[in-house]
Parts: sequence; structure tokens; C-alpha cells
Amino acid sequence: MITHQHVVVFQPMGIRTEVVDGHQLRDAAKSAGVEIRSLCGERINCGKCRVIVQSGNFERWGIKSGLDHLSPMKAGEKEYWSRRRKGLIAQGYDPDFLRLSCQACVQGDLVITVPESSQTAKQVVRKGARSRAVEIHPNVRKLFVELEAASLADTEGDWGRLVKAIAQIEPLTRNPGDQQIDTESLTIDLPALQELQHIIRQGSWSLSVTIWEGREVIRVEPGFSDSLIGLAVDIGTTSITAYLCDLSTGEILATEDTMNPQVAYGEDIMSRISFAIDNDDGLEKLHKSVIRSVNELARKSCRQVNLKPGDIVSVVVVGNSVMHHLFLNLDPTSLGRAPYIPATKNSIDLRSRDLGLTKLNTGAYVHLLPLIASFVGADCLAVLLAEAPHEQDENWLIVDVGTNAELVLGNRQQLVCTSTPTGPVFEGGHMEHGMRAAGGAIERVVIGDWWKPPRFKVIGNPSWSDSPGSHNVLARGICGSGMIDAVAELYRTGIIQPDGLFTDEELPYLKRSAESVEYILAKSDQTVGGHDITISQEDIRQLQLAKAPLYVAAQYLLNSLGLKQPDRILLAGGFGTNIHPEKALLIGMIPNCPLDRVHSVGNSAGDGARIALLNHEKSKQALQLARSIKRIELPIQTGFHDQFTLALNFPHMVDPYPCLEGIAPVRHPDPMARKLFGDTIPDLENY
Amino acid sequence: MVNIEEHLKRIQESIIQGNNQVSLESCKAALEDGVDPLSILNKGLMSGADVVGKKFEKGEFFLPQLMLAGRALKAAMAIVEPALEEYYAEKGTSGDTGVIVIATVQTDIHDIGKNIVSSMLTASGFEVHDLGVDVPLKTIINKAKELNADIIGCSALLTTSMPYMRDLIDLLEAMGERNRFKVIVGGASVNPDFAARIGSDGTASNAVKAVQLAQSLIHEIRTTPGL
Repeated sequence: MITHQHVVVFQPMGIRTEVVDGHQLRDAAKSAGVEIRSLCGERINCGKCRVIVQSGNFERWGIKSGLDHLSPMKAGEKEYWSRRRKGLIAQGYDPDFLRLSCQACVQGDLVITVPESSQTAKQVVRKGARSRAVEIHPNVRKLFVELEAASLADTEGDWGRLVKAIAQIEPLTRNPGDQQIDTESLTIDLPALQELQHIIRQGSWSLSVTIWEGREVIRVEPGFSDSLIGLAVDIGTTSITAYLCDLSTGEILATEDTMNPQVAYGEDIMSRISFAIDNDDGLEKLHKSVIRSVNELARKSCRQVNLKPGDIVSVVVVGNSVMHHLFLNLDPTSLGRAPYIPATKNSIDLRSRDLGLTKLNTGAYVHLLPLIASFVGADCLAVLLAEAPHEQDENWLIVDVGTNAELVLGNRQQLVCTSTPTGPVFEGGHMEHGMRAAGGAIERVVIGDWWKPPRFKVIGNPSWSDSPGSHNVLARGICGSGMIDAVAELYRTGIIQPDGLFTDEELPYLKRSAESVEYILAKSDQTVGGHDITISQEDIRQLQLAKAPLYVAAQYLLNSLGLKQPDRILLAGGFGTNIHPEKALLIGMIPNCPLDRVHSVGNSAGDGARIALLNHEKSKQALQLARSIKRIELPIQTGFHDQFTLALNFPHMVDPYPCLEGIAPVRHPDPMARKLFGDTIPDLENY
Repeated sequence: MVNIEEHLKRIQESIIQGNNQVSLESCKAALEDGVDPLSILNKGLMSGADVVGKKFEKGEFFLPQLMLAGRALKAAMAIVEPALEEYYAEKGTSGDTGVIVIATVQTDIHDIGKNIVSSMLTASGFEVHDLGVDVPLKTIINKAKELNADIIGCSALLTTSMPYMRDLIDLLEAMGERNRFKVIVGGASVNPDFAARIGSDGTASNAVKAVQLAQSLIHEIRTTPGL
């Protein structure tokens, strides 16, 4: 008898599994290590096991998913959904694509999204915000205006009366750096005008007005109010973070984050573009899902501090070029093909309601920072706003690490940038035991010496695996920073050679089989799944393939400015919060630089978004800054391959790393370099 | 005198070690001792390449070793190929190993993988015409027709460029030329499912397997009447 197997992909975990035809979905998830909640025990009561069925072609996995790939609904489940239809729509779900995973059986290939409410452990997206000194001059100002009451002797219209009053008080309330309000050309948004008469009378001829960019009244409130609230949003390929900010003080009131729901349609930017191209409603789905998330983040962050999302009057959004296009519902097709042209590189101001951000104040504007160059997006520009390399004398190298990495090098005289794909390894993909930076992921690894047991730390638990009471420290998998740590430590202790190959000596934590060699990072009793978590030879190869292009890209930038090495290196990125400078140098993902001059700056893009939100001049300078940066095209066809091959080693086949003296044994150039290239090791100058 | 087995073993080892001097010398020595060139190719060079491919899959070998093996193959083929032609001439059979047109399809400019495959194919005795990157489908097909190629190899790294490989096959169908060529596809995101779905004649997960795939397709072409 032939048993049919189907491919089922669970998102946002990104776990792919094969399921026998007819198997219950929730059970299949469980076998794959995806735990879906249930309170009622399959009695169609609790609805905790609800999942979203994605429909369309998914090139990334080579499958087609659809509702018809699950067993048809029986009466009980039908009734369950029909009773809740309205409520679900209000919560932003499309009820037609929901199923109870305890009722549905797998009958074909599927992509399934497990909503946060159905997951047993909440995904932890760690993008902590730090304080930075910014002068507070947002693009909105709030004025309290007292009007002369209308009378038969004074029949000026309400709006005219308001303008006149604003003209009188505006110069008195303006601080240096604030936007000047030009009352000659001042306009009012229609919904505000529609409320105006009522508001004026409700506040007994006094009201508070919010003015955008000194030229448009976007909100009117009766009486006195000085609350001025804004939202900075960083849309990453994998996660979205929102910072609710007090625009008067600059204070962060609340931070909320979530997985980017678009992960369901493809993990990296290229597969999202593919999804948009391959499916008629692809772009719409991608766009709507991110808008829904931003609405949700606005609502949740406001709830934390007892505000209403309707209080948000200004929003700044940053993201890479593809996230930017999908947020704006712009076709990303041409971004996916050489010569990679975006619809626009300029900064944009849009009414939030035009984008469907209906939870925000109806008059609120959304500002998008400009793109620097095709794949060097607004997120990278935000990093520059936050770190300000253009204000330094030293030459800084900024590396924004992710599935796609952006690099910027230079100082106040000039800046150059480039981008390179690195693949999903840094975000925990493409590895046997890889996972995203979520609860239970190994994020730190220390290996004292080759004969000592490895120690690790998992996200969500402050203790190390060898501390007293460590039986609580259970690992689920390895995330990107854990992988960098582990491989750096394996190299430092000589368990792997500079070329990435495991030593052929018999060592205590090496497990050898006919097919492979693995290093046991966590023993079965230290893991959630009860099986060893290991790093295989193949995993190390994946990391080598991901880090080599970063190094080569940095070298090309250095070369273009005639520099030998940068004065300082900043490692940014959502998971860059956790990159350990020493480990980054050990594996050679960045060029040689004194250890005390390499810094992990964390989610710098989010900081930059906040700076743009708080200071309208900074956000205007951003456009100038974006245009002043020279883009260096990596010569993919010539020379790159040789450089790439040399950069596969830890830290490099030939380039010296004096900064690692005393940390790792000094390695002579790998004889392989001579084998490959003879006496003339290829130099960048030659290309 | 060294016996045949030892000769072949030494040739195989030279490919695994990636030593182009040794591979050249050991092939020369084998030919001088009268080992037939077909055995040198299949039981020496190709079986060495096979080991390299297996080691690569295990992660034991990596790109540098693959590059070295490719070079050792190429060095050896410089003297094995003329000997093969002579051998075929004597036997009165065709010695042509096949003509392959290879390209990275339009809108994609990535070629590291394609170049490795291309040099491995060349090293293995195929007549390879590498059209480069971002090549329009029409150009690929026209070149294949012009050269009367046996196989068209397309590569795409970007998932956004992969659909063009399907387009190429559809275009061949529309032109009524699909049966004239075998089409093989490759690239980081290409898997056997995709290759089958778009109606290609196969894919391979590394350069050594690509050579084996090409060899088996050529064998099929040469032994199937009407192709």
C-alpha cells in the first residue's frame, strides 16, 4: 500500500514537515515540534487551536497550499465558525481561511500560520530601545486656542475665526527649531472641519488643534489638551517593532513587537517578491497583512499606557526596500530583477487612512524615510540617522546584518554603501537545529576548552546551562547569535579547523557517523524535545557561506575609499543586539579591527525611526543624506568568487587578524590559498 | 609496470586530492601503459569526481576542494580527450560527448554556481558554451539551435528569476522545439519538485551531480532512436 506524504509548513516558526495523508493537523504540528494550544480537548469549544490556512503557490517550498488541502469541515466546526464570524472579522481575521487544527486532516500540501494566540510560547522578538539625545521638534505642533465667541456683530465663519486666532498666538508659542505655521496658506483636513463647529461649541469657544508640517490642521479637540503622541515603526523582514512616543518629551511610552505576518508567504525578501508575482492577490495579501499588524501594534502599545490609538497623530515607518513597497501596496516586481529599480526612492508623506491604518487618528500622517539605493533601504538610512557616521572624523563601518545585509563605510567627507544577500542562517534558518530568536533558542555559547562541556544560555532564561538549578534551562534550538557564538568557540578551541572542517581527532562532544560529524551542544536532557541539539558539518558550511560575502562586501567598500581597515565597526540588526564582537571577529564576518572598537548597537533602525519621528529636521536631512551616499556595486561576475573563496575560512584564508592575538591561536596563511591561486593571491586592486 | 587498477586508482586519487599535476601525469602514464581512454575517463576521472561529490555533500569537502578537483579534471582532459577521439576513431564510433549551452537566465546576475558547473562540465569533456548572466530566453534558444546543442542548462539564484526557466521550456514548446533539447535547471532555490513541475529534464544539487546528470541525458539521447 502506498501512503501519500504531504508537505506542511508551519509559520511563523518556519518549520517544514512531511505528513502522512489523513493525519490530524494539530497532531502533525506536534510531531514537528510546533505546539498548538487546546483547552477543550477537541470538543470544538475553546477555539485555541485555530490556524490560518494560506492559499497560493509557494515557490520557496515548491508547494501549492489551499483550503481544499484539508479535510472538509464537518457540521460542528461549521457551526463554530459561523457563530463567531463577525467577531473574527473585527479582530482582523478572514474567517474563510480559519480552521480548527484539531478537526482538520491533512489531504495535501499546506502552508499554515499559527497565530500568536494559538501558540503555546510567545515568540520573543528582542529589539530593546535605548535612549539617545535628540532635540524634540516633531512634524506636528499642538496649540491651545481661545476664540472670540461669534455674535451678530462678528459673523466670521468658524474656520476663519480659528485661523485668525492661530495667527495671533503662533509666534508666541513657537520655540527655536519648531516648525513655523504659515497662516496664509493654512488648510484643514475635511474630517476635522466636519467636527469643528461641534468641537468649538463643546469647548465653549476654546479648543486644541494639531497642525502638521505647519500647514494643515489635522485634529481638533474641545478645550485644553496637550497630549501629542506618535508611533515609530520598524518593519523588518522577520519582525516588526513599534515604539509609542510622547512627542512633547521624546519619551518612549511603550514598545510592542510581533513577527512579520508576511513570513507566512516567504521568509526572505526575494520569496515575498515571488509570492507577489506568482499570485493574483499576492501583493494585496502581503500589504494587508502588514497593515493589520501595524494597526494591532498601535492598539496594543496604546493599551499598555491607557491611551487610544486615535491619539496617534504622527507615524514614521522604516523598512528595507521590499518592506517599504509592500507597506505602500507598491508592486515590488522590478525590485526583484536586475537592475532592481524601486517605484520611488524619495521620502513620502501619506494620510494613514489611505493606507488602511484606521486605528490611528483619522488625520494622522505617515512619513516614510527615503531609500538609499535599490536594496539599501530606509531601515539602513534610519541606522545612519541613529549612529551618525556622517558627523564623524573617523571612518566607521556599519554592518546591518539580516537575511540581506547592508554595509555603509565612511565619515563626514563621504559615505559609500552596498548590500549583499547572506541567506537565512543569521536568523536561524537552513540549519538542522536552527530556529528564530524566540524563547528557548540558544543565544550564547561558551566552550572553555576542547575537553570541557559547552555552556549555553537560552532566550527567556537568565541562567547559564551549568548554573545551579540549570535543569530549568531547556533548549529548543539554536538562533543566529548562538550559531555565531558556537562556531567561533569551536574554532577558537581547535575543534574545527580554520577551513571549517571538524578535526579528525576523537573528542568528547563529537558524534561521528558514516554520514556526518556533529558537535553536541545540548544533550537530550537539556532540551525541550528530548533529543540532542547539535551543530553539523553542514551547518558550519552554511555559516561560512553566509559570512564570506559580508567580509568581501566590507573589503570592497574599504578598497573603494582606499582604506586598509575601518576605525570602528558597528554591528546593527534585530538580532545584532546579541552579536558578540569577539565572536564576529573570530569567524571573520567583519574585517580586522581592535576588539574595543567593535560595537553591537542593536536595533539601530528603530532608534533612527524614533529620531525622525521626534525631529522633523532630521527626517528632512535624511533625504540629503540618502542622496549623498555612493553606492558601490559588488562585481558579482569577476573577482568576487576568488575573494569569496578566500573569505570562507575562519577568520580568513590569508588576511591577518592581529586583533585576535591572545584570543585564538595565530594561524599562518592556509596552504590552500597557495594551491588555489599560486603565488599571486588575488588582490582587489586587480579587478 | 603498474597494472590497470593501480593506474585508475592513482588517477581517481589525483582528482580527489585536486592535484592537477598528478592528474595530468598519472593519465599520461596510464595512456602510455595502454590503458584505454574510456576506462580512464569513467573509472578514473569520473569515479574520482564522484567521490568529491559525495564528500562535498557530507560537508567534508567545500568550495576550494571542488575548485581544485575541477582544475585537476580539466588538466587531465587536455590529454585524455585527444586520446578518446583517437580511440573512437579506431572503433569507428562517435566520440562526441555532447554540446551544452549554459546561462544564467534574464534578470539574474548570479553566476558562482553556474561557473563551477560550467567548468566541471568542460573538464568532463563536454563542449560547453557559457552565455554568461542575464541572458534573454530567445538568445539561449537561438544559440542552442545554432550549435545544435544536446542540452540547455539554465541557472537562477533569485526566486524571482526562477519563473523564467519555466518560460524557457514553455517557449520551446510553443516553438515546437522542446524535443530537440534536454533542459536542465539549477540554482540555490531549485529543487527536484520545481524541476519536475516546470517540465525540465532534471536538476542536480551540486556540480559533480550535474556532470552525472548531463552524462546520463547524453547517454539517453544517443541510445534512444528518434531523439
